[in-house]
Amino acid sequence: MKQQTVHADKVQLAYAAILSKATTLSIVFVILGYVVYIFQLLPLSVPIEQVSENWHLRASEFHQHIHAPFGWSALSDFGKGDALSYISILYLGAVTMFCLVAAGFAFLKEKNAIYTAISFVQLLVLIFAATGIISGGH
Amino acid sequence: MVLKNIRDWIVPGVLLMLFMIMPEIACAAETAMVADTAWWVWVLGLFVFSFVLGIVAVVAGVGGGVLYVPIVSSFFPFHIDFVRGTGLLVALAGALSAGAPLLRKGLANLKMALSMSLIGSISSIAGALVGLALPENVIQLSLGLTILGITVIMFLSKNSAYPQIEKPDSLSQVLQIYGIYYDEHLKKEVNWQIHRTPVGLLLFIVIGFMAGMFGLGAGWANVPVFNLVLGAPLRVSVATSVFVLSVNDTAAAWVYLHKGAVLPLIAVPSVAGMMLGTKIGAKLLTKVHTNVVRRVVITLLGVAGLRALLKGFGI
Repeated sequence: MKQQTVHADKVQLAYAAILSKATTLSIVFVILGYVVYIFQLLPLSVPIEQVSENWHLRASEFHQHIHAPFGWSALSDFGKGDALSYISILYLGAVTMFCLVAAGFAFLKEKNAIYTAISFVQLLVLIFAATGIISGGH
Repeated sequence: MVLKNIRDWIVPGVLLMLFMIMPEIACAAETAMVADTAWWVWVLGLFVFSFVLGIVAVVAGVGGGVLYVPIVSSFFPFHIDFVRGTGLLVALAGALSAGAPLLRKGLANLKMALSMSLIGSISSIAGALVGLALPENVIQLSLGLTILGITVIMFLSKNSAYPQIEKPDSLSQVLQIYGIYYDEHLKKEVNWQIHRTPVGLLLFIVIGFMAGMFGLGAGWANVPVFNLVLGAPLRVSVATSVFVLSVNDTAAAWVYLHKGAVLPLIAVPSVAGMMLGTKIGAKLLTKVHTNVVRRVVITLLGVAGLRALLKGFGI
């Protein structure tokens, strides 16, 4: 029987290794954070009923009515159940960035100038979005 | 042959009629129902709905994100801002989960993905900013038109499993976009290369913008561009699309997160339900009639697109 060859290069394998671990961790965080939130194992910034009474509003109007944690401001409410759940989602948004760091350094090790540059520029684009500068970050 | 085609469309046709009638009933009961229903009923309903959607999406061979936004915004009481923010997270979580095995097998090509996503992620940020700034009726109207467009693409598109590229273009050579993978169907190694890279880059600007604007996963557009425009084999196109999606949706998701358009109360059950459904769907894949499911999905998308369009007109 013909042996199946693995055609993934070292960079792809490095990316996959980080991706696999970071994604598993993010799923665990997201589920744990949500359990803490809906079972109110920690105090909440905003009662769940108040969120559900206003979820039909535009995001901007919603946050004028109630002060639910969002953006980086959620970090300052770390001890609250809803903020914790929100932070777990922020982590999910960071997974691709971890992978890009791994890919960037792996390309650098291979002396692949084009893809080292592309990986780090891509990383900068995502960091720029994550800072919230362009979206009036909170 | 003709009779068979007609028979294949009977189930979706009946569904279409039901959904055309249902909104009337739904609207009449909507106000009272939304006010009276406890939050946990909506949350549980959303989890179950996302779970079913996850199964259907895999069996039909479409991304969950593209089904999630139009259908949830039609049948749940959440504002479309939150539905779009969640739609991006649903697509992102699915892409991240599927990614590692695709890379290890060499089916996904990181170089092709990074080349296209760099430009696509910038436009998806722009799309998200524009989408959150536009009035709701404009969003509904353009979402409706987009979804109807996707329905037509899905109905008409005929992918090519192994496109033959005689001569790769010079940009793809500079960007080192070519590869080899083991095809389990053919039981042999397949060499591939691409052409028309500049056209592909331009198309990914448009796709990124639309994904960010509507919170749709963009597999419906990524795959045809990789496969039919650039000429990558279908398996490589599908696998690489997952990576483009993970980068573009990450960029747009941060905009939604900073605009407060993500509510964990809605987002987590959707992500969890969809991921669980996707896993079950993958196991059912060999046991169900995928063509019928695909037709049902195309019909559902068409109806959801039509509903969004009507909402946009204030009907």
